[in-house]
Amino acid sequence: MQATNRRKTIGLLAGMGLLTGLVVYAALTYFGSSGAAIVPFAVGIALFGVWGSYYGSDKLVLTMTGAKQIQESDNPKLFGLVQEVCIASGLKLPKIAIVVDPAPNAFATGRNPEHALIAFTTGILDVMDRDELQGVIAHEMSHVANRDTLVSAVAATTAGAIAILSDVLTRMMWFGGGRRDRDSNSNPLAIVFSLLILILAPIAAILLKSAISRKRESLADATAVSFTRNPAGLRAALEVLARDSTVVQQRSTSVAHIWIESPLDGSSVSKLFSTHPPIQERIAALKAMESLS
Amino acid sequence: MKTIIVLGILALIVLFIVAQYNKLIRLNISVDEAWAQIEVQLKRRSDLIPNLVETVKGYAAHEKTTLDAVIAARAKATTASTVADVAAADGMVTQALRGLLAVAEAYPDLKASANFLSLQEELSTTENKVAFSRQFYNDNVRSLNTAVKTVPTNLFSGIAKVTEREFYEVEDSQSRQAPNVKF
Repeated sequence: MQATNRRKTIGLLAGMGLLTGLVVYAALTYFGSSGAAIVPFAVGIALFGVWGSYYGSDKLVLTMTGAKQIQESDNPKLFGLVQEVCIASGLKLPKIAIVVDPAPNAFATGRNPEHALIAFTTGILDVMDRDELQGVIAHEMSHVANRDTLVSAVAATTAGAIAILSDVLTRMMWFGGGRRDRDSNSNPLAIVFSLLILILAPIAAILLKSAISRKRESLADATAVSFTRNPAGLRAALEVLARDSTVVQQRSTSVAHIWIESPLDGSSVSKLFSTHPPIQERIAALKAMESLS
Repeated sequence: MKTIIVLGILALIVLFIVAQYNKLIRLNISVDEAWAQIEVQLKRRSDLIPNLVETVKGYAAHEKTTLDAVIAARAKATTASTVADVAAADGMVTQALRGLLAVAEAYPDLKASANFLSLQEELSTTENKVAFSRQFYNDNVRSLNTAVKTVPTNLFSGIAKVTEREFYEVEDSQSRQAPNVKF
């Protein structure tokens, strides 16, 4: 279960790399070397944008979601539960934060296990029992253990670079149509192909990015069970989330992928663009693990 | 040219040996650390017991056998030192505590007392921590023992002075779960 998800992530990241390669190819065919010169700039801009949010993710997400860090004396029960999962996983105790929001949800962030932060809404702490919360915490700590902040930062950088590249290149086509280098390819088929790539690449990049996020969610569910050896707890927690119709008030798409349950309205977003696998599929996967143990 | 190749191969061999040696040492240290974690958690639980016994005594003094069983199990646990002894004593304490919490069921005043409620939460989290530290220890022992027995690491276990370690086995089959008392 964990191995398949890891393999698929690598496959998807390779797909991202291939996509970048295709865009570079399109730039070369259409504009020659002057087109290719944009590539390092696009990657640079994307890296600059994503690196900051990756490096300071624990602090940035706090302000974006309105989460407040708490101390052990504020909620000894929650700290006890997190310590349990830390012992089970061998990870360091992360920073713990609370979001005042009646909708049950939770998330994890931080560039590495030493800078990890996990946050819970007041809603999730109210509605879940010990075993369910333990499952949720194990899921969040799995994101930390699997370094999902890094994975999504890499995915976001590539998708960002592709978006910038395609944008700049298509603009160059519309506005500077005739200014093509001598070394550019004049084969009409190649030109049409490049055009198609430039138009479709950004969408493909977003699809790949979402697919990576979904795989990481499934992986975190599987890793969580390897920590607690109790698939029933996380399954019950997901059932609570599935039954609950309230969503967190803060619904920015830029942080949608970090919550345990997607805060975005499921029906309006196509399954392909979703950052999370359908919750019923996750419940089914956990039920299958229960019958194994 | 030839000497460079020979030196290169030699360097690779040395690197390989160092890597295997370090792997064994690292696994052995992980087992030590996991063992220390078990001891920390058992100590924590042991520290909770006097307080718990006193609280229960206040409401149910005549449940002497149950209370004595807990105290006796705790005393035995403090003297244990080998893995097998500690595990056996741990199992007894878990069993005795479960008995005590079951007895508490019959005393509504006790169950309602704030002191008992907070002790009970602390006990269930500690019981879980003990269980998870056992699990983590056994996982580490498993990786170490696999390395000691399999090629190529088994060739270096002698030099690294690393041998197979003992699993932490608690006899009681239910012991993975914390005493589960609903209030």
